[in-house]
Amino acid sequence: MVMHKTQSHRRDLASSRFVIALGTKRAMEKIVNDFVVNVATANGTGSQSSNLIILHSMFEMGVPVSGKNLFPSNISGLPTWFIIRASDRGYQAPGDGTNIQILMNKDTWIKDLEGLEPGTIVVYNEDVKMPVERDDCVLLGMPMTKMARKINPKLGRLIANMYYVGAVAHLLGVEEDAIEKAVKAQFKGKEKAVELNIQAISEGREYANDNWDFDCQFSVESRDKDPDTFLIEGNEAIALGSIYGGISMLSWYPITPSSSLAESVINWLPELRSDGDGGSTCAVIQAEDELAAAGMVLGAGWAGGRGMTCTSGPGISLMSEFIGLFYFSEVPGVIWDVNRVGPSTGLPTRTQQGDLSMLYEASHGDTQHIVLIPGTVDECFEFGWRVFDYAERFQTMVFGFNDLDLGMNRWKTSGFTYPDSPMDRGKVVRSQEEMDSMPEYGRYRDVDGDGIAYRTLPGSGLDPILYRGTGHDEDGIYSEDPQVYHDAMARLKRKIDGAREHLPAPVIREEEKKDLGVIFYGSMENTIVEIDDMLEESGLSVSTCRVRALPLHSGVEDFVRRHDRTIVLEINRDGQLFGIIRKEFPAELIPKIHSVSYSDGMPPRARVYSDMILEVLEGL
Amino acid sequence: MLKLNVLELEKSEYTGGKSSLCPGCGHDQISNNIIQAAWENGIRPEKIAKMSGIGCSSKTPAYFLGKSHGFNTVHGRMPSVTTGANVVNKDLSFLAVSGDGDTASIGIGQFVHAIRRNLDMVYIVENNGVYGLTKGQYSATVEKGSKKKKGVANQQAPIDLCAMAINLGCSFVARSFSGSKKQLTALIRAAMSHRGMAFIDVISPCVTFANNDESYKSYNYVKANDEVLHILDYIPHFSPIEEVEVPEGEYQEVSLFDGSTLRLETLAADHDYTDAVSALSAIHQSEKAERHVTGLLYYDDNVPTATDTLGLSETPLVELTEDLLRPSPDSLEKVNSGFRS
Repeated sequence: MVMHKTQSHRRDLASSRFVIALGTKRAMEKIVNDFVVNVATANGTGSQSSNLIILHSMFEMGVPVSGKNLFPSNISGLPTWFIIRASDRGYQAPGDGTNIQILMNKDTWIKDLEGLEPGTIVVYNEDVKMPVERDDCVLLGMPMTKMARKINPKLGRLIANMYYVGAVAHLLGVEEDAIEKAVKAQFKGKEKAVELNIQAISEGREYANDNWDFDCQFSVESRDKDPDTFLIEGNEAIALGSIYGGISMLSWYPITPSSSLAESVINWLPELRSDGDGGSTCAVIQAEDELAAAGMVLGAGWAGGRGMTCTSGPGISLMSEFIGLFYFSEVPGVIWDVNRVGPSTGLPTRTQQGDLSMLYEASHGDTQHIVLIPGTVDECFEFGWRVFDYAERFQTMVFGFNDLDLGMNRWKTSGFTYPDSPMDRGKVVRSQEEMDSMPEYGRYRDVDGDGIAYRTLPGSGLDPILYRGTGHDEDGIYSEDPQVYHDAMARLKRKIDGAREHLPAPVIREEEKKDLGVIFYGSMENTIVEIDDMLEESGLSVSTCRVRALPLHSGVEDFVRRHDRTIVLEINRDGQLFGIIRKEFPAELIPKIHSVSYSDGMPPRARVYSDMILEVLEGL
Repeated sequence: MLKLNVLELEKSEYTGGKSSLCPGCGHDQISNNIIQAAWENGIRPEKIAKMSGIGCSSKTPAYFLGKSHGFNTVHGRMPSVTTGANVVNKDLSFLAVSGDGDTASIGIGQFVHAIRRNLDMVYIVENNGVYGLTKGQYSATVEKGSKKKKGVANQQAPIDLCAMAINLGCSFVARSFSGSKKQLTALIRAAMSHRGMAFIDVISPCVTFANNDESYKSYNYVKANDEVLHILDYIPHFSPIEEVEVPEGEYQEVSLFDGSTLRLETLAADHDYTDAVSALSAIHQSEKAERHVTGLLYYDDNVPTATDTLGLSETPLVELTEDLLRPSPDSLEKVNSGFRS
């Protein structure tokens, strides 16, 4: 079966046994656009380019495909995996197992091999000189490094990765045109690199064709590709959204997985936000730490600008004191949290929804913050601009909540939609006439009854006050009066509660039969269809409700009321949204709401969650 | 008849609320000097932004410039808030007050980086060597061997904020004493005329916790050990040059950004305020002699400010309208099609 001609006798023997086992499979029909390829490489070897070329070439053919980069907290040397899943049903989760395993990394070689299901196709770099002892798998070797060195001795290590692209293209039947297009996109403008890499891929493909006598049961088949679609990382989508949202100050401190968000803003600013005379309409400051980054957002918001920072959990912890000041002094600002695995430094390059409850009530004392939770790259863009409107409308710090999976992996969009409403700059008194027309102006006086007071900006000279984090009365004057404090806190509660119905409503996909409702949020969107299908295989009728903001919209409670049982599905240990729901929903609803929550750092695998849901339902 | 400044405003336009600090606190004298300086310089109160952190000193923005907007932020983090406000509105004049605890301990990181960026602001530290609001613990600027009213003498080496600022390339560094009205007012006025970070470390005795004679920052001690570098005269750009009383060659003139002049009538001939080494030497020599050197220590008018280096639009960002803040629909089409190809 494994027909690599230079293989050792032992391997030949091993694989010939497998020929028999696979004999029936060969006669079977091809499995089209439904497989998982896993590439094991070492960080810093340039393999990301190869993996993205595989991903994009399939995407070019119209194959529904998704990619997950599992990378280490390291610059070079530690293991990296890239999982590519093709699925005509549109499943984007990593899948239950691996159909084609690429082995390039010596360090994980043995373990990667051991973990494979029998029958897995293994493409490996012979030059790594590691044993390939799996009698029950299809073993396909190629001297990738040697071949690469022949093309370019200096860049051999990098180019070797292109040979597995050729191998995969051969096995699955990826079209040459698609590969070429993907290579060109990957090495935009660098003609020499394009030429070199295409040569390597072609050689890989030829080698596989000439030396492997194996008919792969998996294949790709072109689908009608919507010419409007493309793949993009959530972080870049947020960055673009913020630019269209009129961001005027970005402060940031580097932290995985949010750095690419800030860097995308920086990359796009010259093209999109020049004033025509060469000046930028947005300031970017790399801060000395996250505390300073948050302070700068506060200063920008207080002065009348649209300030934003982006960080991850550890940064939010550091920003917490300022977050309380935003809340209490009522200054608009935006903080994006791209969630990685906590607590503490945790798993810095893995994904989780572990910061949600922290964001909702960040900082000491009683606080409550608006949190926008995109679940798609389109929403990353949309919430990227809308978040500023919410911040200025409600005069408070608003969180965007993203995670590493949605933020740093590439997801499909048909293109971003231009903002459908002008900027909402909130309640700002900008002239003496406006001020005179207000009978009882006070910075913290609720004249409209919605909990939102009017503000003036520094420099205007209109009712200047000394903003403060200490207790203050309706005019902003220092006060320790019990009633004044109590009333101020009650108004803040009313203000944020009032945001509920203005925030993005949940996205609900509802069945006629209301057996089971699943409430979820964020990047779980990319796995929910598969979970839903798995659950329905067991005869259940499953509706889903994707929460898109905190505080919760009334639509979520209504969803719970309509269903017999509800599961709150999350990528964390403790069920953080479940905790919020349990605290806020009427007591009579709580008995029919259950938590299913699991986190191991990996992007969610559908089977794990559907099994857990079924287990919970059985126990009821 | 009441005196008016160049804007024809009375001094009362620059005053603030009633102080709640201890009677006799050095900080209140500094507040008075700030009021005096802003009034005499004829700065529109609404164009000033008062910034502070947490502590006795940081409370004082409530006691001066009542017609200016301000922000009493969190402990040690005033510089970052000022940074954000500055980059979106570079037309504001930022006047910040901090303390030795606020700046030299919890906020030292932000102090350092605000200087590195040459933030366009006046940064006054009201330095008394103790934490007042928490009842008299030592701060990081207290001298080795100095003793507050209660407890034992401090054994740790002090942080000299002026030396630190000079080492970091701060464009305007001065030290003064809350009891030296003329010197301090001249320095604050000069700082307000400067473009970039103007740092003034003002020794300001804590009358409650450290005004005993064994404290190096007590009134008596500072009065007896004030090593004055030069007599200072501030000559505003809107007033004709006054008669020079001092013979030529015995004074130096510092030209400030707004056209005003700070005249140094030189007493200490060997001090060169344009030379960082000379300034550091003056600081270290007086420290060795357990004295306080005061005056303009260092000045450099050739350091780009934070907003200069950011390449921002000429118009302050807060004044930009939506057509400049939100790119056109066509531009988004271009972005989308760029990804598609």
